[in-house]
Amino acid sequence: MTERERRPPETPGPAENAPDPEDAPRSFTESVGAWFGTAVGGIAIPVASTVLAFLVGGLVVAATGHNPLGAYKAIFEGTGLNPLSYISEDDRRGAWADLQQTLIIFTPLVLTAIAVAFAFRCGMFNIGGQGQYLVGVYAAVLVGTSLSGTPSFLHILIAIGASILAGVIWGGIAGILKATVGAHEVITTIMLNWIAIYGGQYLFELGGPLQGAQESIPRSDPVMDAVHLPAFPLSTGLQPLHIGVLVSIAALVVYTLLLNRTTLGYEVRAVGFNPEAARYGGISVGRSYFLALAIAGAFAGLAGSLDMLGWKYTVATNDIQISAVGFTGIAVALLGRNKAVGIFLAALLFAALQTGTSARQLDPAVFPPELAIHLSTLIQALIILFVATELLIVYIWGARKRLGFGGPARVQPELKA
Amino acid sequence: MNASRRLPWLALLLAGLVLALGAAACGGDDDDDGNGAGDTAAETDEGGEEEQFRVGLVTDIGGLNDRGFNQLAYQGLQQAESELGVEIRVLESKSDADYIPNLQTLADEGFNLIISVGFLMQEATATAAETYPETNFAIIDAAFDPALPNAQGVLFKEQEAGYLVGYLAGLVTESGTVSSVGGQKIPPVDRFIAGFQKGATDANAEVQTLNAYSQDFVDQAKCKEVALDQISRGSDVVFQVAGGCGLGALDAANEESVWGIGVDADQAFLGDYVLTSAVKRVDVAVFSTIEQLVNGEFAGGETTSYGLAEDGVGMGETSANAPQEAVDEAQAQTDAIIAGEIEIPETVE
Repeated sequence: MTERERRPPETPGPAENAPDPEDAPRSFTESVGAWFGTAVGGIAIPVASTVLAFLVGGLVVAATGHNPLGAYKAIFEGTGLNPLSYISEDDRRGAWADLQQTLIIFTPLVLTAIAVAFAFRCGMFNIGGQGQYLVGVYAAVLVGTSLSGTPSFLHILIAIGASILAGVIWGGIAGILKATVGAHEVITTIMLNWIAIYGGQYLFELGGPLQGAQESIPRSDPVMDAVHLPAFPLSTGLQPLHIGVLVSIAALVVYTLLLNRTTLGYEVRAVGFNPEAARYGGISVGRSYFLALAIAGAFAGLAGSLDMLGWKYTVATNDIQISAVGFTGIAVALLGRNKAVGIFLAALLFAALQTGTSARQLDPAVFPPELAIHLSTLIQALIILFVATELLIVYIWGARKRLGFGGPARVQPELKA
Repeated sequence: MNASRRLPWLALLLAGLVLALGAAACGGDDDDDGNGAGDTAAETDEGGEEEQFRVGLVTDIGGLNDRGFNQLAYQGLQQAESELGVEIRVLESKSDADYIPNLQTLADEGFNLIISVGFLMQEATATAAETYPETNFAIIDAAFDPALPNAQGVLFKEQEAGYLVGYLAGLVTESGTVSSVGGQKIPPVDRFIAGFQKGATDANAEVQTLNAYSQDFVDQAKCKEVALDQISRGSDVVFQVAGGCGLGALDAANEESVWGIGVDADQAFLGDYVLTSAVKRVDVAVFSTIEQLVNGEFAGGETTSYGLAEDGVGMGETSANAPQEAVDEAQAQTDAIIAGEIEIPETVE
């Protein structure tokens, strides 16, 4: 017990090394560098990266001969997130319809981001969110198209349970490989992604075991009506918001509690901070690796079932190929700093960008929709680039001294007190 | 301690949010009239309601400048705008999450005809057609099953175009082996390939045909790999049936100095190594569908098939390096196909 209670040493991050602001007078660049230095690990860098990405995106918009402010305003209006839209009766309906679409996209992003974040806190980079999501999709389709006659509520629970289990298995395989033979999780999860993609190809292609009744289309049967998730209160339209969005928000709470309030979470964080020290402290490192990836897989698998039971209902081989929700989840986790609140905001930003730039929202006179599609991708990529190169920014701003010369500094999974 | 350090940043973030909202609010007062496409569309609607038909197009995830399918559909729509005077609007889908909201947006705005491009949208289009019985729907490359009274399926006889280019391939091959690279084993792709194989063996019974699928419509590297493998096995004519991915197959043909054959759009612009293209005139189909509507003959509940006779498919421009007599001979098959004298299979065994 004493071992467990002992706090691992504080991260000797740049923040702690930052010199006292009251120090000798410094040049402007040094001051700004110090500003970034103290902010590393905080929320300033993600916010700054986002702002910077939007600025660069704005330059691109201006380069195409359009007004960046007008374009951004139109995009923002299209996300349904502008509270002012809800004041007038006329705008409210449209804004709410947009917000529903934003939240539909938001839901799986949160979960796949947790799948990345949870593994990251154990010191692992889970690239396999996509594969874990896909096996969750397959499991939901399998259960959702069979077991007819099961009471609706039970049917939904079984389908979601099956998806979570599938995700656990998919993540767990990589975890076991890491724990037993030390196979690097980056390699194994990427490979498992391909197995999931081509496995789905096999399942749903023409003549595949789960291909639907329509012979000429490589697609599953739609899941039964009984297994559809209930619509969100007051939701509207042909593709209404489903209650899965509440599940994803609950998952954020579960993620935080699991990580910060349980022995398991403590062990996961300790291993993530320093596996050798954790081992010395009596923690089974291999077990933590396995559990972290299995639990990560559970979240991603859950995302798969919420999408299937919430609004997609059916999956085609092409959907499998083009789906990238697991990979976007990596970006969301990165931007969200693996924190629940961060993931929430980052997922909302990415989902809003996608909805706001959809063609139906934009007046071609303000900004051509065909450019907007690329603009959202551009901004997302820039955000990630800037987040990932935060240390480069620190470096550029003259913070070199604080980083020392002991090799490139790395972002450590933070171990909170 | 941790919390106290973060607090200022949180405050800063909140302040930033408030500022951003304020800015948005101010902007909102400035230009209320140009706000949102819905308004503008609605205004024009009130202005010219008498006779003007409004036609919307929803693309699948390929996007408008995919140099194939969606682009051709857009061309057909633009042609209808200029020649038939219809009002048009295009909504590109960025992901499958956009299909239904896009269709619904157009239907809510009172468009007379909404055309979806690509069989991936079949389910979504059927859902929309059931919900909006007053609106006409059409889908390119798919049929409705079960049929809906206000929805028309639009298919192509790809096998006829495949036959013509296959026939030409059979005539020009020197190694006696021709091959096809399919994107995925789906009916439209297989109709092209089935026609290609039949045409090649009809032209020359000795010809061997190879066929493989890349399982991808986007990644050029995959199709290139498949094509290189086929070329190493003796193929000297490579027919790509894989959209954007297939450009990789043509690239392989170029590198290995063998013939390539394009698909969907006329891909002769790639170079003289492109023997010809099996074109699928999505633009013709889109235009004809709109013409039906304008003439009051929209064939709801039916599935229309566009073949050589309707100019819906065909053989594209031929390479300047292709032997003229072979080209002429292949083109001469057109009449026989239209007359129904040649039985062309639709599936690859």
